[in-house]
Amino acid sequence: MGSMARAVAICLAVLIGGSGVLLTRDARLHAQTATTTPHSLSTAFASDETAARTLLDEYCVTCHNQRLLTGGLALDTLEVSNVGEAAEQWEKVVQKLRGDMMPPPGRPRPVRQAYDGFRAWLEAELDRAAEGTLEPGRVPTHRLNRAEYTNAIRDLLRLDIDGQALLPADDTGHGFDNLAGTLAVSPVLMERYLSAAQRISRLAVGDETIGPGFTSRTYVVPMNMTQNDRMSEDLPFGSRGGIAVHHRFPLDGEYILRIRLKRSVYEYIVNLDEAHELEVRIDGQRVAQFRVGGEAPGKPAPVSFSGTFVAAGDAGFPSQAWDDYRTGADAQLVVRVPARAGTRLVTASFRDRSWEQEGVRQPPLREYGATVTETTDTSPRSEGPGLESLAIDGPYAVTGPGTTPSRDRIFLCGPTDTADQLACAKSILSAVTRRAYRRPVTDVDIASLLPFYESGYAASGFDGGIQSALERILIDPEFLFRIERDRASGTAGGAYAVSDLELASRLSFFLWSSIPDDELLDIATRGLLSDVEVLEQQVRRMLGDARSRSLVDNFASQWLSLRRVAGITPDPNLFPDFDENLREAFRQETELFMESQLAEDASVVELLDADYTFVNERLARHYGMSGVVGNRFRRVRFEDDRRGGLLGHGSILAVTSYGNRTSPVLRAKWVLETVLGTPPPPPPPDIPPLPGPGPADEPRTVRERLAQHRQSSVCAACHAPMDPLGFALENFDAIGRWRTTDETIPVDASATLADGTTRFDGPAELRDVLRARAPQFVETVTEKLLTYALGRGLEHYDRPVVRGIARAAAANDYRWSSLLLEVVKSPPFRMRRPES
Amino acid sequence: MIITRKALSRRTVLRGIGATVALPLLDGMIPALTALGQTPARPVKRFGVVYVPNGVVIDRWTPATAGTGFEFSPILKPLEPYRQQLLVLTGLTQNVDGLTAQSGAVHGRCATKFLTGAIPRPFGQEGSDFLADISIDQLVARELGRQTQLGSLELSLESGDKGAGTCDGGYSCTYSHTIAWRGPRTPLPMEHNPRVVFERMFGDGGSTDPSARRERMQRNASLLDSVREKVTDLRLGLGPSDARKLSEYLDAVRDIERRIQRAEEQVDRELPAYDQPAGVPGTFAEHARLMFDLQVLAYQSDLTRVITFMVGREFSSRTYPEVGAPGGHHPLSHEDSAASREQLSRINIHHAEQFAYYLQRLDATPDGDGSLLDHLILYYGAGMAEGDHQPWNLPIVIAGGGAGQVTGDRHLRFGSDSTATRSLKGGTPLANLHLSVLEKLGIRMGAIHDSTGRLDI
Repeated sequence: MGSMARAVAICLAVLIGGSGVLLTRDARLHAQTATTTPHSLSTAFASDETAARTLLDEYCVTCHNQRLLTGGLALDTLEVSNVGEAAEQWEKVVQKLRGDMMPPPGRPRPVRQAYDGFRAWLEAELDRAAEGTLEPGRVPTHRLNRAEYTNAIRDLLRLDIDGQALLPADDTGHGFDNLAGTLAVSPVLMERYLSAAQRISRLAVGDETIGPGFTSRTYVVPMNMTQNDRMSEDLPFGSRGGIAVHHRFPLDGEYILRIRLKRSVYEYIVNLDEAHELEVRIDGQRVAQFRVGGEAPGKPAPVSFSGTFVAAGDAGFPSQAWDDYRTGADAQLVVRVPARAGTRLVTASFRDRSWEQEGVRQPPLREYGATVTETTDTSPRSEGPGLESLAIDGPYAVTGPGTTPSRDRIFLCGPTDTADQLACAKSILSAVTRRAYRRPVTDVDIASLLPFYESGYAASGFDGGIQSALERILIDPEFLFRIERDRASGTAGGAYAVSDLELASRLSFFLWSSIPDDELLDIATRGLLSDVEVLEQQVRRMLGDARSRSLVDNFASQWLSLRRVAGITPDPNLFPDFDENLREAFRQETELFMESQLAEDASVVELLDADYTFVNERLARHYGMSGVVGNRFRRVRFEDDRRGGLLGHGSILAVTSYGNRTSPVLRAKWVLETVLGTPPPPPPPDIPPLPGPGPADEPRTVRERLAQHRQSSVCAACHAPMDPLGFALENFDAIGRWRTTDETIPVDASATLADGTTRFDGPAELRDVLRARAPQFVETVTEKLLTYALGRGLEHYDRPVVRGIARAAAANDYRWSSLLLEVVKSPPFRMRRPES
Repeated sequence: MIITRKALSRRTVLRGIGATVALPLLDGMIPALTALGQTPARPVKRFGVVYVPNGVVIDRWTPATAGTGFEFSPILKPLEPYRQQLLVLTGLTQNVDGLTAQSGAVHGRCATKFLTGAIPRPFGQEGSDFLADISIDQLVARELGRQTQLGSLELSLESGDKGAGTCDGGYSCTYSHTIAWRGPRTPLPMEHNPRVVFERMFGDGGSTDPSARRERMQRNASLLDSVREKVTDLRLGLGPSDARKLSEYLDAVRDIERRIQRAEEQVDRELPAYDQPAGVPGTFAEHARLMFDLQVLAYQSDLTRVITFMVGREFSSRTYPEVGAPGGHHPLSHEDSAASREQLSRINIHHAEQFAYYLQRLDATPDGDGSLLDHLILYYGAGMAEGDHQPWNLPIVIAGGGAGQVTGDRHLRFGSDSTATRSLKGGTPLANLHLSVLEKLGIRMGAIHDSTGRLDI
């Protein structure tokens, strides 16, 4: 084979295998790398064009040349003296170098110092080249996503709605669901907007024609929720099990509350042998008390009842009376009570009469993996009776719209305050429209609403008129979309600063996932927001506001894949302990942790190794921590180095596992994407399957099975470098518990970095490795923040901006506020390119 | 298998569906409310798609013998009672070269190509985060939807919420979450909540009272009229990419206006009594059956003639412990062991059982001179074969008589060797089948992407 042919073969092999090369554990490859480490660049990089050319010629152009064009890149002809001319291609090179992906394993590499030196030089050159140009990019018209719509309604009308019930889910791209290019509009969505607008406007004004059914809802306790303790801080002390909900009562009137108890697999109410007391409260006031159980008549079903039920009349058992009682005893748990309009806390729970049994404590039995033959009477989990659902139905006997925050917000004046009802209506609609459209209101706006006001007025009076006009506002394109208009500009490329009002919307949707408040609108209307000092002041004010919690709910939850906690399904046979309480605790832990990091304005690097977290009793037990009692979450400091930072959170460890085992691959992928910003290339089609676990007499760990997978060269190219990052987390099982063995085999959590210099073992040492890459992590956070802030995927011309933001934040120890501020002050956030 | 009272109890079925259900409907005694002009000689045409994710265990899917009177395979066994209305097609492919040229996103791309024929684009190309083509169900809806209030319905058993975050690298999650595309840039969201589906079909008034519905429709018409005017003004001076979003909005507005118009004409028509479902039932089977009930109801009341349904979103990792498959669907499909294949087969059979329930309901619902099943053309299948997710040797079944145009009780093989086609990359494009099916539905198309001609079925 000629040398050219050999080069082609090698390059093709690399191309086919993918290019995600970060780390390798293969000692043989290291040895090869070491022996071929060459001559000219065995030490530092000289940081000039000549050195760059030499390095490229030596290590890169074998594949990346005009003839082969591997990866579409010809580094032999790209000019190093003016990298700005081919910035897009050079940014690709930077990206590969950042991830240690090139040259591929087995090919010669410069020594570490030279490798990093070249990247630093190239980045500096690109940044310098970008200084002269201004390319802020362009975000097309943006539809409000579901979370933004929900928050906007909250801030516009002081009304909490269940967005998930009203609108379809939004699609995601680049990891976020707020991207302008991904948020499509379909007839289905439009129908839902219409329907939502009607419901919301009727609720907000307190339409007295609202009948039962309009806000009727059945709140279901998830099947696998253990109800042995007090379930939340919203429930009374001394209570056990049950549910607490914030229910919106549409009007002053009477409502029917109905409780349904938990059933066994046979549809028998569980644990009815003894009497239990239940109580229902609205805003803490007890409105009903019940006693149920202990009164079953007739002959019970046998313990071995298998479901082939024969009704009464048969000589067998159970008797019909017993069956009726066990299936219908909760039919009496109904109460009709008066309630005032507004969102109220409704709770239903048992009185706690549990006790600890003496003797050896038995492990809890598993739930839905259990066989059915012994579970006729009690739930397989050792617990008392539970609630299946709480239904709230009404209103009946309506007495009026009542006093609600929504009505206070909307009705600035009333028809009785003034002789001129129309003037009052106009002032109400002006105030709402200004907030809804996020700009000063014109006469044309109001004129377009008046026909709706008038027809509503004709049908049902003043409130009806306002309701009808509100309905119209809520489907207006200026409410549902963020439309920015091109403006003239003074710069060469045509980039221009967006208007103050557009900037105000960008700011509020970034920091609050919602519309601007009055102060922000006022400032923008007066043209002051483009002043950097004012802008900075507003950012700080907004971060101090409770609405900035959206950075946890919408930014962090998506960036960290936290939303996927809702979808994890651990195998109940392998993880019988996993229940809804734990799922809920996983979510809460990470949310509280993120919230504390933001609130305390910590360095973002702390996410990797913070020495504290938040746990309640359930989670503490799961983590093997003692001394934490009760359902309330509290901040605790770790006493050993097993956990620390996000990589010790059950949420993240579980979403990167499969239902029946850990996945070092998914965990490594999470680290690469979320922490290092160097996602591995997607797997090729036609992947050979992963070998299954061996026969019973030779158990194999996932690690061993992956080792076999990597024997295929196609697989190895990606997995050899990836998998080790995940191996270091093998001490955590698929639901995040600490372990030292995997199916009786001791866990091996050791791994080695690609350059062969760094060995690490277990999560603590992985944290050190990642911590050492803090600047890269900060760039990743910046990249994610900027994507989320702009609502578009980043382009090569955004890279210098990302690096600039990260550099500027370094001076402030990478604190959250400094990153967020730099994002807001950056050109892509404040400017726009006209449509070409 | 766990036999519980649930399988026997009427109670449970009713509770899953809602407060009460008109029993005659459940029993399928009410004939379909078909449109004016339907005669036994000219039955109404209907089209449906039922898509299963992650492929299937293909060697347990493929019948061992071909032709009429073929032997049912383990996975297709639950469908055997409907043999006369079933056409099994094996060995069809999606244009492999196009799909494999770029690595990754096998799931999203196979699923999207399934009905569109197009190879979807990754992020950021041509100014959009996604780009495919109109899907055949929507081509059909353009025609058959003229007569009905709803052009089509798009349904799923999995919420888009659960996959939040990234899907296939470099590609939008949209490609895995839906298979229905109204146009190259307009993917249609799939609804998984039966309550919402019900509202879509019968309105959100919680009432089927004609006067209330008429009033609501008139109100919506004037609201839409007003925003339509405003959008026209707003679009002035906007660049093409900004205006595009508003055009989508305008299209949606017009679509609903057409629907209102149609509905007003039909407002006095009696609808079957059916109460609104409470929400998503707790188990997969209950959920599936409720969604199938709603589909039967939609055809029966002639609200639509086109329904696209995903049993799971592509790439789904749902677990099925209730049938002894506690491993996630997707990870199981990548594991090479007897145990994982057994679990996968159970999932495939479980899906087929739900589909058999649907066929049973369609078969029991009179329509014209036959049943809904007699007149429908219904796809059942996947956009990829199995665990290694090759887009060839696809599992495809056509159910329904297509009003006399489809002959059942046949297994047709395509390609040179369809019993062992793991490495066969040639073969007959799925798009050819689409062309033939479209023709049977009265739509003549010259070609769909990689099609090479019509299929003689």
